[in-house]
Amino acid sequence: MNLGTRKILDNSFTAVGMGSIVVMALALLAVLTPIVYNGVGAVFFTGTIEHRTILYKEYGRGDAKTIETQTATAERYRGEAYRMLSDFEAEMEGMPFEASSRYRSQYAQVRAAMSSLLGPLPGDPTPMLTRFQYGQTRWEKAEEKLHEILYEKKWDYSDPTVMAKAFYVPRAEAFAGTMLAPLFGYLDRHLADMMQPEFTVYWGFFTDRSLDAHIFGGIWPEIQGTFFLAIGAMLFAFPLGVIAAVYFTEYAKEGFFTSILRSANSTLAGVPSIVFGLFGLAFFINTMKVSESKSVLAGSLTLAIMILPTIIRAAEEAILSVPKTYKEASLGLGSTKWNTIATVILPAALPGIITGGIISLGRAAGETAPIIFTAAVSVGSAIGIADVFSSPTPALSWNIYNLASEHEMACEIRHVQYGMVLSLVSIVLLLNLSAILLRAKISQKLKG
Amino acid sequence: MKRILLLLTVLLFASVDAGAVGGGVVIDGSTTVGPIAKSFAAYFKNRYGVGVTVSESGSGNGVKSLINGTCDIAAMSRAMKSREISAAATKGVNPIAHTIALDGIAIVVHPSNPVASLTRAQIAAIYEGRITSWAGVGGPNVRIVLVQRESNSGTQGSFGELVMGKGVRITRSAETHASNGAVKNRVSSTPGAIGFLGLGFVDGSVKVLAVNGVRPSLPAIRNGSYPVSRPLYMYTNGQPAGLVKQFIDFAGTAEGMRIVGELGFIAQ
Repeated sequence: MNLGTRKILDNSFTAVGMGSIVVMALALLAVLTPIVYNGVGAVFFTGTIEHRTILYKEYGRGDAKTIETQTATAERYRGEAYRMLSDFEAEMEGMPFEASSRYRSQYAQVRAAMSSLLGPLPGDPTPMLTRFQYGQTRWEKAEEKLHEILYEKKWDYSDPTVMAKAFYVPRAEAFAGTMLAPLFGYLDRHLADMMQPEFTVYWGFFTDRSLDAHIFGGIWPEIQGTFFLAIGAMLFAFPLGVIAAVYFTEYAKEGFFTSILRSANSTLAGVPSIVFGLFGLAFFINTMKVSESKSVLAGSLTLAIMILPTIIRAAEEAILSVPKTYKEASLGLGSTKWNTIATVILPAALPGIITGGIISLGRAAGETAPIIFTAAVSVGSAIGIADVFSSPTPALSWNIYNLASEHEMACEIRHVQYGMVLSLVSIVLLLNLSAILLRAKISQKLKG
Repeated sequence: MKRILLLLTVLLFASVDAGAVGGGVVIDGSTTVGPIAKSFAAYFKNRYGVGVTVSESGSGNGVKSLINGTCDIAAMSRAMKSREISAAATKGVNPIAHTIALDGIAIVVHPSNPVASLTRAQIAAIYEGRITSWAGVGGPNVRIVLVQRESNSGTQGSFGELVMGKGVRITRSAETHASNGAVKNRVSSTPGAIGFLGLGFVDGSVKVLAVNGVRPSLPAIRNGSYPVSRPLYMYTNGQPAGLVKQFIDFAGTAEGMRIVGELGFIAQ
């Protein structure tokens, strides 16, 4: 091969290498940007007076004075709108039946949208469900609701042989000439006065319990459950994994049995996580009866089995990478085998072992399938350390799925779901980051 | 480091006893009953400080949990099958049904679909795969996208029984989704789609069809004129006692009935 071709090949290899790094960086950016952008919206947003009222009433936070004055202002503007409603109701009473029935169903829609915007209207009984006791807590949602009040979405079904197209009709037209007509312009002009929007930083999102199935409040039970499960899994898997790795590298004789064990371990590392989940249900809960129902304990054990192969492999590699001379020197000084392992080999291998452990910790925190049947519930309060043996727990990974698909008001609370995603990704990133830092610190210490 | 470990161990063992005492109510089962169970749970937490955990894994899994003794209450959107009852009997579990609400199964389509009403026979024909275009039921010439639930679902079971009839299979081309919410998402984003949902999950993003000319409304379901409705159950092992009994009985109180109503289901 002449020099020219070699140079071209060399350059093109460099270009491909650089290219793939750029593609990887872009992909990471494409994944992380929407997560961060949307997730941050759960904490930083324009909150309405309803948000502050909830915080004050349900969590006892916030300045009573400010909330009181703001509520008073908001109520003054709302009162005007409520007056228009009751005026119109009185007007409808006086109409002949055919005339009033023309308005009735339309008016019911307006009322429903109004109470979803502002909370229960005067005269309505206080709803049992917290979700209906307050109006919209977020400004962008309030604007959506306003649009719903101002315009009716209609579908043109006149031709049954084509799919209909949506169009919006201002509701003001339908009520033209009645006492309700001025309401729409009034709401449009005074939405901000009625809702008192303010830029809000809601750190409580991470530390509050959730209210009414995540419709209000924070995600603390999920965050805590995630930590319990991941740390519990580590408590079981880490010691076991390190012991197994020591056995493989120092004690096991190379032979048929060991190679079978080794390949079994590799196979286990490739088993889909849902299989571990079902195994956990069948073995830990139904057979071993470690707990009466799903529990953090059962979930941790299941996750532990799932991450065990990774920990064993990482620890094995780390132990093998300890220079042979260390061991020989220690044995040569008259140390026993066990003493050598405990005082020379394991400390030298520690950075590698810990890295493997923490990366597995990240995986345990993020897995959904193993905990569906063994530990996760869609609603439950934060549990104490005392309950881990008997209680199931909500956890970030499972609740993200639950909010995305099963929740009855999924579209209304997308911000909570994004907030959970961001929290989970941050937890995993933090764990990985701490692995890198810890490793660096220990390596430095070992070098002296 | 050693001291911290020692402390942790002590904490862990000290907590074993405490854990055994604090027992709440564990509910597993139907995603349709999920909102009711979750709201009742929130009420119990507020009112009595009792922890109630709710998993929504489907009616079929609820039964399995009850039989295995891993839940106190199985929430179900269909009655238990005789197969399941005998499986329970062999394990010494005596399932007792408590009806907590009525629910209509709403047949939903994309809001742009001009079709407003179908007969029960037409729906069955669509799900059997005999009608594949909306033109077959007086609509536009658009291919019908069938959306169904998984076999574990009680809503799927009730739909099969009430609409399809015995022994009639849903065509294999139907898409399967794992929850009411997922079905709603799919139907609301697919113009040609048809699906079925518990009434509590219906909102403005989908269009509800009348079945045999009757729309699913509170009176129509109460008096039975809407053909696709079923009771929602909570099953317990034997007659409930204590907290579980209180929880089940709550569905019959005025407050419980109001919660059921606000969620869009029909209180008894």
